[in-house]
Parts: sequence; C-alpha cells; structure tokens
Amino acid sequence: MKTNKNRSIEKVTQPGTPHFVGDGFRVHNFIPGTSTMQRMDPFIMLDYNSKYHFPATDKPKGVGVHPHRGFETVTIAYKGRVEHNDSAGGGGVIGEGDVQWMTAASGVLHKEFHETEWSKTGGEFQMVQLWVNLPAKDKMSAPKYQAISNSEITKITLPDHAGVVEVIAGDYKGHNGAASTFSPIHMYNVKLKKGAKTTLAFPSNYTTALLMVEGDTIVNDITKVPQDHFVMFSNDGESFTVEAINDAVILVLSGEPINEPIAAHGPFVMNTQEELVEAFQDFNTGKFGYLEE
Amino acid sequence: MKFANFKKFLIEKGGLSEDEIVQIEPFIQTKTLASHEFLLRAGEVCSHSFFVERGVLRFYALNEEGKENILQFATENWIVSDRGSVFFQQPSTYYIDAIEDAVVVLLSEEFVSEVAKLNPGFRTQNERLLQNHIRHLYKRVSLLIGASAKERYLEFVAMYPDLLLRVPQWMIASYLGITPESLSRVRKSLAKENFKSN
Repeated sequence: MKTNKNRSIEKVTQPGTPHFVGDGFRVHNFIPGTSTMQRMDPFIMLDYNSKYHFPATDKPKGVGVHPHRGFETVTIAYKGRVEHNDSAGGGGVIGEGDVQWMTAASGVLHKEFHETEWSKTGGEFQMVQLWVNLPAKDKMSAPKYQAISNSEITKITLPDHAGVVEVIAGDYKGHNGAASTFSPIHMYNVKLKKGAKTTLAFPSNYTTALLMVEGDTIVNDITKVPQDHFVMFSNDGESFTVEAINDAVILVLSGEPINEPIAAHGPFVMNTQEELVEAFQDFNTGKFGYLEE
Repeated sequence: MKFANFKKFLIEKGGLSEDEIVQIEPFIQTKTLASHEFLLRAGEVCSHSFFVERGVLRFYALNEEGKENILQFATENWIVSDRGSVFFQQPSTYYIDAIEDAVVVLLSEEFVSEVAKLNPGFRTQNERLLQNHIRHLYKRVSLLIGASAKERYLEFVAMYPDLLLRVPQWMIASYLGITPESLSRVRKSLAKENFKSN
C-alpha cells in the first residue's frame, strides 16, 4: 500500500494588527501580508475578520461600491450576516455557515454591508474573505455567483464521533464540494471535537494552508497552533495531522498553483501591466456597469 | 528601495547616474504625512515644491461658505505646490493636505542647485515641467469654461487612471466643477453606453 509522505510546516503566522476594510470588516491580513501571492498561488488574498463584536446600529456598516476583475472572491461566514449587491443585478445575504463564491472574472462592481436587520441588534461577527486567482484563459469570462447555503454544503461525519468535514470545494475522500472551481482547489471547514485527531492529504505540489477559526490545535503531533493563527505547509509531502485541544473549526485550503505571471493593483489581478491599465480604463468608462452607493 | 519613485525621477528627468544619486542622497529631505495632515494652509508662505513619493494629496481653495474648490490632485510622481507663493514669497490663499497617508520629497532651491551641479541640464528639465504644468492649466481652464461634464470626466480619468478608487466622489465632483449628482449621472450614462451585460 502506498503511504503518504508527511508534509511539514513551513511557518505558523500569528494574526497581525487588524485594519478596517470600509467600516464593517475588521481584518487580519494573511495573504499577501505574510505570505506573497506567488508563494500562495492560487490563493492571492486572505483577510480574516476574527471574532469581533459590532454594536447595534441603524446604519449598516460595510464596504461601498468597488470593482473586481481577474479572480474570484470567496466569503465564508462564521458569525454575522452580510448583504451584497452588484452591477449585474445580483444580490443576496450570506448568513452563518454560508459561503458565497463570486467569480468576478471580466468585472463586476459590488458592495457588501452587514445585513440591515442584523445591524439593528449587532453581535459577534467572524468571516473570511479569500481571493482565488483565475487562469489567464478564464480571467475575462462572464462573472457569476455561487451562493452556497449551509444546507447545500456536503458534510462528512468522521469516524469515532471525531467531528465533521464540510466540503466547500474540491473533494474529500470522494465526496464533492458544492462549489465549482476553475483550477483544482480543495476547501473544507473541518470541525473537530475536543481531543479528536484527523489526517488530511493533498498532492505535494498543492499550496496548502490552515486557518484556525475556532479552538487550539496540534499539527503533525508537535506544533501547537492557537486559535486565529495561520499555518503554511511546505511542499515536501502530502499528508499532515490536526488534533483539537478543545472543540475546533479549521479552514483548510489546498490548491494547485496556476504558475502564471501576476500583475496586481488594488482590486484587479491580471497577468500583465497592459491588462491592468485596461482594467482601470474599463472601470473608469463604465464597462463594469453602474451601482448606486 | 527607499524613494524608489523619486530616484526614478532623478534618473529620467535629472539625467543622473546611480553613482550621482548616491552623492545626492544626503540632500534628499522628505516629509511623512498622515491622512488629513496639511502641507500648506492659507496665510502661510509655501516653502517648497513637493514631489509625491507615495499617497494622494489635494491642492484647494475654500470659498466664503467654506466650500472646497479642488484645483489639483497629486498622486505618485506628481509635483504639488503653490508655485506663486514660493516664487514671490507671498502668503498663499490655498491649502494642500493629504487624502491618504503620504510621503513627499521637498524640492528646495538648495536641492535643485545640488542636482544642477552634477547635471546642469536638470534646470532645463525643471523648466520643461513648469511649462508642461502651465499647458495643463490652460487646458483645465478651457475645459471648465467650455466642456460638458462628461468631457471633463473623461479627461480626468485619462489623466488620473486610479483616482476613482482612491478619492471620494464628492472631491472628484469638486475638481470637475460639477455637483456629485451630476458626476453620478455622467458615470451612469457611460455605464449605459459601455456595459455589456454577460
């Protein structure tokens, strides 16, 4: 029987000083802040709003109209509710446990605010926003949404009541996730009970990382990784283990590098400088459409 | 690299070599500004021209009602100053402040002289920049007198391609001499013309 070689930890990053995105997202940046876009390919941005209490307000907080082109934004809601609208007429609410996978591709304008009703009471807010790069051939494809409610997410129960793997994208032991992707990506929320341990494995060339959303863990039997920390793995093997010290939720990311040049400026991620200039021109001249503030 | 934009400016406009830049480095003075911090207030004599290494600044006047009229934005590689106040050593009637956290390089007469010692052509280049600035001002006045809001907007985004993402809409409207509602209408009509829904 083939045995997987163990994958070692490249680094564990603690959450840095948070900053506000708009006035509604208080985030720690892990990508490209502590690990570059090139190293994290195909994951080009990760902002993590660790648990934060927003007080009640009649004026929902959030981020006003802004464009995106050339990649996908993935919003994973752990606590709180976010309402979004875009220039193609789309919109909806992302609630606890839901995932929104937006393919910005050739370009959309959108805005994201705490849901009006949720804002009136306020409360704990915790979310991840991840940007996934698109291969060059798909960067100018049509924008689309995958609104994935928690009930649609495949849930695999681990043996011995160890917990549950929620498969957002890719596959876990033959069970497919709800989201379709443009390049091979596996994305799970692994929910482990206190004391439980599990092994995960991905091809060694895949960029692989963990975000400890809830609870403290021990990775590969020796490295203690506290809550809100980010683990980046080396590419020296396939498998690793995670053990929960207390009840834990772990966001698992693993993707095949796209290995294409990256030209990024603000909300546009393309392959060349010329394409970036074009993105600004197209945005300025209304080719992304219009959305009221 | 420290002052990457300014060094590029000295190489391209000043004709300096890498070695000469090392010689001139001790004369480079910078100022770091937090967002909303002022470089110039009305009533003060403007001390320098300022090269923007990083950030966005605005150059504006306040009318009697306190309304801001923005004459110029300055982003990376732009020069901003009340040149009249510097040259005539008279109090300015304008304000310059940072819209984003910024770093500027102070272009003093002393600094220009030091660079000119290494490359006398730098003075001619500086004069070219001034002439270019005057040409730009003629165009701006003519657009403000005679062009439609849409024409002004299109000239603006051609000159400042990334400012729409960095500066609030009302400031852009102030620069264009139109109301924020009118700016909204222009952008909406452009989207109607150019947006192809997929």
